[in-house]
Amino acid sequence: MLRLLRTAADGLISLSAIIGTLGLLTEVGVILVDVVGRALGAPLYGSQDITTMAMVILVFGGMAICDRRGGHIAVDLFEPYFPDMWNRITDILAALMGAIIFVTLAWAVNESAKLSDMLNLSTNLLRLPKSWFQNALSVFALVTAAAMLLRALELAISGRDTRKEDQI
Amino acid sequence: MSIETIGVLGIVVLFVLLTLRIPVAFAMFVVGFFGITLIDSSNSAFGLLASEAFTLGSSPQLVVIPLFILMGNVASITGMSRRLYDAAYAIIGEFRGGLASATVIGCGGFAALSGSSVASALTMGKVALGEMDRYNYNPRLSTGVVAAGGTLGILIPPSTGFVIYAILTEQSIGRLFLAGVLPGILLLLLFIVAIMLICTIRPEYGPAGPSTNLRQKTRALAGALPIIGVILLTIGGIYGGLFSPVEASAVGAGVVIIIGIVTRNLTIAQFWEAAKDSVSTTATVMLILIAAHLINPFLALSHIPDAVGAFILGFDLGAIGTLILILSIYLVLGCFLEGFAMLVLTLPIFFPIILQLGIDPIWFGVLTVLTLEMGLISPPVGINVFIVKSVAPNVSLADIFRGVLPFWGMMIVAIGILIAFPQISLILPDTMFN
Repeated sequence: MLRLLRTAADGLISLSAIIGTLGLLTEVGVILVDVVGRALGAPLYGSQDITTMAMVILVFGGMAICDRRGGHIAVDLFEPYFPDMWNRITDILAALMGAIIFVTLAWAVNESAKLSDMLNLSTNLLRLPKSWFQNALSVFALVTAAAMLLRALELAISGRDTRKEDQI
Repeated sequence: MSIETIGVLGIVVLFVLLTLRIPVAFAMFVVGFFGITLIDSSNSAFGLLASEAFTLGSSPQLVVIPLFILMGNVASITGMSRRLYDAAYAIIGEFRGGLASATVIGCGGFAALSGSSVASALTMGKVALGEMDRYNYNPRLSTGVVAAGGTLGILIPPSTGFVIYAILTEQSIGRLFLAGVLPGILLLLLFIVAIMLICTIRPEYGPAGPSTNLRQKTRALAGALPIIGVILLTIGGIYGGLFSPVEASAVGAGVVIIIGIVTRNLTIAQFWEAAKDSVSTTATVMLILIAAHLINPFLALSHIPDAVGAFILGFDLGAIGTLILILSIYLVLGCFLEGFAMLVLTLPIFFPIILQLGIDPIWFGVLTVLTLEMGLISPPVGINVFIVKSVAPNVSLADIFRGVLPFWGMMIVAIGILIAFPQISLILPDTMFN
């Protein structure tokens, strides 16, 4: 069962990372076109709208893979002095804490998206609705939360720590 | 419970969570969120969480972070950093300690691409340690040089440290980037002076490498030209007013990718991995920044920065004395806390004091980032030392820390010079931004 869940979670993490990476490439492309266009007297209309919204996609699309790769910074000064069991419990607690944080974030931003919808909030030039990107942020946060919850379960049940395995 | 007591309790809980190895961002989230809930209301905490996450995630200024990380990753994969080292090696490698100096120059060059100290130490470690070993360099010198040289990444622009400082203190990223150029070069030169001194006192530590003829020198230099061009284009573009820092980062990343494709040193798979890695690293940085924007209002509401400010100002040390006191606190904290986390946690407390004393925030930014660099090579946490250890498993940690010591001393000298002559930091941004 856990293996099946892990396969599904890794699939979602990969998908989220792919979308985030596409966000990054969009940023590079749009800014380059804008700079070259400006030099030729024809800057790209609304380039800042695209780059800032792509930034949301890349930042939150990357959250799940960041956790999968053990990318979060922690002060591990005392790790060698704690017993293994203690360290394992801390890892489980940290993963659970992360899951709760990301669920809270998803909920809070989703509520904010409803408000943005109601007020018709959009980007300055291209009028891209902000709620689209807020909802995307919420979905990415939920994927991250689910992946963290699964990691906590794996650590608790089998002691498996996916952060130390080959990366997806 | 008084507001001040909640503030103090929050800081205690924060340090307990950090000691327990809870990720820095998570610890700040929890303390900030519950602190605001207790002092104000849960509605404020939820509102702040939603608005800060989206506002920071879509901040136009922060676009520089993923783009410069991408530029560094691609430059590393395509071997451009190696060619920088090869050029320096061909020119000065034949002198005593020359390979070590070439490593420092290579680190400085790579720093101008990546903005990351860890990436600089790892990349140059892989490139240079083997070479120095081949020419019988003492492992203390070779590993110390790589660990210390890597720290240049956070000072020489583009620097992630400066971007974070700029966001937290609402300063101009462009000004900070320019302010880091001369101090970065100064530190690089001081590192070379340290190598020369070591090799004068202990000639066996850094024997001369093989001599190269003019043709070999020219060829090595020609190989490094594209990457030197990228550095000049990005930093020169910002200085010359051609690009904003965000545009410079995109142009730099774009040009490095194009060079990689044209020279056939970059496959699609490598490029995709570099981009994915950049996204993951950006997420790490951004989550801490978002968490910082949750904990900082909590600290402000609890009046902790005011109390600490009043306490420090109570010593009546004057502007320079207070500045040295704050930098000394950073120096001690840097031994235990990761530099980036330390910056995020302490700036809300120290920065108002700096403004109150009339100290230039750009100058303070340079000094702060330089002090953070020292934490990267200070025992027991010194992350760069561990990075070098992973590349040179046969050298003991104690030897690497001893090797780093002369360079650590040079960083103190650099801080002293920069305090005595603020113009070194301020002349470029002041000329450019009037």
